[in-house]
Amino acid sequence: MNIKRCFTLTRAGIIESLQFRLSTLVVVAGNLLYLVVIYHLWQAIFASVDTDVVNGMTFSDTLIYLVLATALFNFMEMYVVWEIGRRVQSGEIALDLLKPMKYRSFLFWSYSGTAVTQFFFTFLPTFIVVTIVTNGAIPLGWNLLYFVISVVFAVSINYSIDFITGTICLYTESIWGINMMKPVIVLLLSGATIPIAFFPEPFKTIVQYLPFQSIYNAPLSVLLDGNPEPAKLLTTLGIQLFWCVLMNIVSRVFWKISLRQITVNGG
Amino acid sequence: MSNIIEIKNITKEFKVLNRREGLKGSLKDLFSRDYKIVRAVDNISMNITQGEIVGYLGPNGAGKSTTIKMMTGILEPTSGEILVDGCIPYKNRTRNAQNIGVVFGQRTQLWWALPLVESFKILKDIYGVTDKDYKDMLELYQSLVDIEPLLHKPVRQMSLGQRTLSDILAAFLHNPKIVFLDEPTIGLDVSMKAKIRTLIHALNKEKNTTVILTTHDMGDVDALCRRIVIIDKGKMLYDNDIEHLKGFFGYYRTLKIRVSGSLSETAEKIAAEFPEFSVSANDEWISVLVDEAKSTVMDVLSQLQKTYKIRDMQLEEISTEEVIKKIYEEGVK
Amino acid sequence: MKRKSLGFYFRIYRKILAQDLKSKMSYRADFIISTIGMIFTNVAGFISFWILFQNFPSINGWGYYEMLFLYGFSLIALTPVQCFFDNNWNLRMRVYSGDFIKYCFRPINLFFYFQSEVFDIKGIGQFLFGLGTLIYSWNMLGLGFSALMLLKMIVFLISASLVMIALQNAAASACFWMQNSFFVLDFINKMKDYAKYPVTIFSSIFRFIFTFVIPIAFIAYYPSLVILRPDEVPLLSWLSPIVALVFFFLSYKLWMFGAMKYNGTGA
Repeated sequence: MNIKRCFTLTRAGIIESLQFRLSTLVVVAGNLLYLVVIYHLWQAIFASVDTDVVNGMTFSDTLIYLVLATALFNFMEMYVVWEIGRRVQSGEIALDLLKPMKYRSFLFWSYSGTAVTQFFFTFLPTFIVVTIVTNGAIPLGWNLLYFVISVVFAVSINYSIDFITGTICLYTESIWGINMMKPVIVLLLSGATIPIAFFPEPFKTIVQYLPFQSIYNAPLSVLLDGNPEPAKLLTTLGIQLFWCVLMNIVSRVFWKISLRQITVNGG
Repeated sequence: MSNIIEIKNITKEFKVLNRREGLKGSLKDLFSRDYKIVRAVDNISMNITQGEIVGYLGPNGAGKSTTIKMMTGILEPTSGEILVDGCIPYKNRTRNAQNIGVVFGQRTQLWWALPLVESFKILKDIYGVTDKDYKDMLELYQSLVDIEPLLHKPVRQMSLGQRTLSDILAAFLHNPKIVFLDEPTIGLDVSMKAKIRTLIHALNKEKNTTVILTTHDMGDVDALCRRIVIIDKGKMLYDNDIEHLKGFFGYYRTLKIRVSGSLSETAEKIAAEFPEFSVSANDEWISVLVDEAKSTVMDVLSQLQKTYKIRDMQLEEISTEEVIKKIYEEGVK
Repeated sequence: MKRKSLGFYFRIYRKILAQDLKSKMSYRADFIISTIGMIFTNVAGFISFWILFQNFPSINGWGYYEMLFLYGFSLIALTPVQCFFDNNWNLRMRVYSGDFIKYCFRPINLFFYFQSEVFDIKGIGQFLFGLGTLIYSWNMLGLGFSALMLLKMIVFLISASLVMIALQNAAASACFWMQNSFFVLDFINKMKDYAKYPVTIFSSIFRFIFTFVIPIAFIAYYPSLVILRPDEVPLLSWLSPIVALVFFFLSYKLWMFGAMKYNGTGA
């Protein structure tokens, strides 16, 4: 695929998202408020037990984990499911399919611009604030590089899952139900609502075998571990790579099959 | 006859954002913005009497929909006065709404998932139509178009034509004094267009409803309107009878003749003979655009008959469309 | 023509509702998918709640069953907004496409007309889920039962619902002023998930914000105190019906003001 074409879409996305000055502000303010809520909530939660460490996590560990999970979520959430659903309902999807680009890539690159602005406006400020506030709780070393690699995998897995969910919209008009379900389930199973370390036993093991934990839990545990054992690091990234490839294939195949079905039925 | 709509010197101004171009421009827009004032409607006056069908014309962005929004009461004029049925629309939006019906081609106002008859029943309640009036209206509709198959069909399953038809019927249901039709025939095929025009005409006759029609289709205008109003860039260009319009640029008529012999040669000779008229030749016909202010078609014809053997002839009036096109392009002299 | 009475609006709504339900039933697949979505969302919410209490016995002096009570209360209070005001989510789209104007030509209240277009039956699942949780925790707490308590419960549940409706109206009306206002609605939607925690966990500034600016504390905390801890009911709890009415009225005015302003500039 022509890489220039992709970046043109990214650029257009950045311009588009910068148009909305007020909404950028709302996003930033909203995130701050959200962070405050999480902070107070978990402070109260930790205050209710006698120990400082619960399930191997201190208050500041939990806080960093959850805050960055939210920041990652904001950066990765492209509202792809809404978009596909909306286009399917309005019939605009037919126009998109005529574009000389695979729809999956077209949509990804169209939204990459928003992701870039989100990265600078929400993730980066949050990251800096958290680093300063927790005063050295985030190790700053090679783990940052591993973190970036891990996030790239996470973005890819997340997009594949979004795309699969979006594809379901071809079969139903109820995009609302799907849209509601997706983030809640993904956030819970990926450890973004409550760190996976807190999960009671059978759950914890089950969740480890699902792709979702690769989206938030994996990059965050890579980030918080300043001195990782190479074997552990490679396992985490390896599992991510595995899910990345698998979900990519599944999402492509599912889209292809669904599209054939739809065109046959003349939907 | 009394005026149902009175508009006196209305003007409407909007504040719009000047966006800068490119990535750099967008970043700049983030921090500083620059607005300009646009005058969408500029000092327009008109009176419309009960029962008239008025064609409200103008190119895209001329200010048509702004004027209509002011007449329907959802927009307040920057200055000037509007009275619709004796009251000021924007101060009495709901009361005004009782008096009007609105149709947008392509945008249905009916309940998407409901069968048409259910939409009608809800509208009946909303507008407080009595059972008798409702029944009479449905009977009238039935006599004009075959609505039976439409009534039990959900709006979402209708074709565009059926939907437009339904929307028009819904707009007339509460027997409003005025109906605004915004491009009612847009996107429809020829026979559906004709059907809709006939329907509008019949409803106007039957109920003496005032109809304000905006359209880009001169077929609608020719079929329905006696009077037309043309605006462009917010300013009124023309407000008069449609016949009058044709005289606006002189009374032009096109004389078409068929002669024996070479077409282009003859055309050239005729052009030399009548330098004041434009002459063209195609499809075996020679056309002479005659300005009747200079000489009549009959004079030209008898002159031609002396020199050439005319095998066949036709006379064409200049079409409204051509005149309007000319007005849009050149403005009114 | 005189102003239309409440009875008039009630009749119209009932008529639209009955028709809408009839047509919804004919799209069974959609109904099932969105109901499943709703159930999943609620179950996921409950699981994260449960996981939390697997690790921590109480939060800020609030035990498991008390928190469960708040949780159930908030679910019920969030039902009306779900059922009757769901069209707020479509407002943005209607406004951008210019379709919004069609709501302005009827001789009835604009806000009513717009909201009456959608009735979301899925909210009922949430209602039942919340009711079950509430009854269960009520029972486990041994709160007892009297007609007066039931009356209080109903009054305060209605007030709590009004607060959420007000929040959503205000958030939805953001689209009249800014483009890309989805974030505002989404933000409020996220905040409502925190309504189920006692507002006392926050510092005084945020307690103020969540009481008077983004009044999520009125969705569960203040009103449920009346039943839950009848010995220490703060004044704000008793005032919550009035507060709810005020917020609702303000949000309605804001919504209408926005709609009128939009017509002045838009499309």
